[in-house]
Amino acid sequence: MKRNAALWALCAAMSSTSAYALLAGAASADTPTLSYETVLTDLEDPWDMAFLPDGTMFFTEKCRGLSVRLPSGDVTALLGMAGTEGYATTADDLFCEGQAGMNGVAIDPDFDSNRFVYVYSTSSLTEPGSNRVIRLAVNDDLSGVSDRTDIVEDIPYKPEASDHPFGGPGAHNGGRIRFSPGDGYLHVTTGDIHGGHVPQSPTLLGGKVLRIDRDGNAAADNAPPEGFDPRIFTYGHRNVQGIAFRPGDHNPVISEHGPWHTDEINVLFNGANSGWDPRPNMAGRGDCPDDYCGYSPNQMEGMDPEERAAWMPMTDYETYPDAMVPAWENNNLSQGISGIAYLAGDQWGDWDGKLAVGYMGIGFGGTPPGQRIDVMDIAEDGQSATATEFPLPMESGRFRSLVMGPDGSLYAAIDEGDIYRITPN
Amino acid sequence: MLRKSFVLGAALSLNLAPAAAADLNAGQELYSAECAQCHGRTGRGTAVFPRIAGKTEDFVTERLKQYRAGETVGPNSALMTAAVNELTDADIENLAAFITTNFP
Repeated sequence: MKRNAALWALCAAMSSTSAYALLAGAASADTPTLSYETVLTDLEDPWDMAFLPDGTMFFTEKCRGLSVRLPSGDVTALLGMAGTEGYATTADDLFCEGQAGMNGVAIDPDFDSNRFVYVYSTSSLTEPGSNRVIRLAVNDDLSGVSDRTDIVEDIPYKPEASDHPFGGPGAHNGGRIRFSPGDGYLHVTTGDIHGGHVPQSPTLLGGKVLRIDRDGNAAADNAPPEGFDPRIFTYGHRNVQGIAFRPGDHNPVISEHGPWHTDEINVLFNGANSGWDPRPNMAGRGDCPDDYCGYSPNQMEGMDPEERAAWMPMTDYETYPDAMVPAWENNNLSQGISGIAYLAGDQWGDWDGKLAVGYMGIGFGGTPPGQRIDVMDIAEDGQSATATEFPLPMESGRFRSLVMGPDGSLYAAIDEGDIYRITPN
Repeated sequence: MLRKSFVLGAALSLNLAPAAAADLNAGQELYSAECAQCHGRTGRGTAVFPRIAGKTEDFVTERLKQYRAGETVGPNSALMTAAVNELTDADIENLAAFITTNFP
């Protein structure tokens, strides 16, 4: 019976250069005690939330669609996907498969005047399916949406299964969308769809972070390499499912899932390469299953993460010496890093301004699942970090999304179907 | 007639024996440690991990033995094989009993 974390995992954790406080008590004394409340339960794969100042919460469910929870607690179903019932509007082209479906949601910074909300969703309007960023106008009483405009139509979707772990359709779908409070641009995170050539492609939008305006146009000062799609802000990513903006300078910070090793937190800079390149016959590698080396050389069995990382690095500095240096590598482990949010307000004590990082948990090949929320202190240069485990006031879960609420609490959605409000006391 | 009754009684005892032997507490411990992070606390499934609530004990047992044997059954087979390849028959029996008893 396998219930032990392999020794190498512990050794890897202990030998990492990134500091990690295993116990909350090891952190500063000026940190709050936490309580929680279940805001919504029995949802179907809740994926993301976005708040208005009065506490109104838009939220997505991956296979159902977009809904809104009013401050009264009443919930209105706004935009349903194919096969759903009970929504004010249904869009039959929106579908879910595997990791794909209705993912991120964001509210326009000028919502008061334009009433715009945005979702990232998989659509069948173009073959073989694609991910779209969809702009919707919400009516005054928050009972319906109209004026759908697809401002991005061509984010790749994986339509067929392949010979890889998690190899079903819809894999590595990215999907977080956030407006920067600094420049006001919408940032869109995408995934490599198990396509070896996708992350370094100058034209395919998978494995990228896009930076666009509310109409889908590229931000004027995006600076990707010559020949790249101008909407690309950074490239060479694997599967980015978290983005937040650093307090002060509003620099974007992302989380991306590692390949059986090395989850990453990266502080982005304009035009940069994150160094993920899973093509076969690259960097000393040969052929790989279905032309994707992302889990090789031993994709179906456990293996020392450091040995695996040496063969298929998350950031390939040898091929791309100028690649971004991650701030955090999760002690070389891959545990399903996902939503991130900066804690804000005096109520968080020493955690004010620190990054909350959610992990969904993946137990494979000796890696402990690691379902948790970390509080991370990222160095000024963005190239190192220390992490403290958040003392959860409730049972752990698959932390898909973390969002700061207007009430100063942290909201957490877990795949099991709950949205929690975590309040510092 | 007497002989037939004895045989039937023996057969019933044999059929009941596996269920009686299953250790639900051990199954719960295994489920919490190895299964819940993907299939969810109540077996309803999460993300790309399928629902296992509502399955029969035979179904759960057969699937676990298939994964333990390294067979490919769906896109997450590598994860499942790694998760169950050290399970004993008794572990599988306990898990199947816990899942089907608690997540009907």
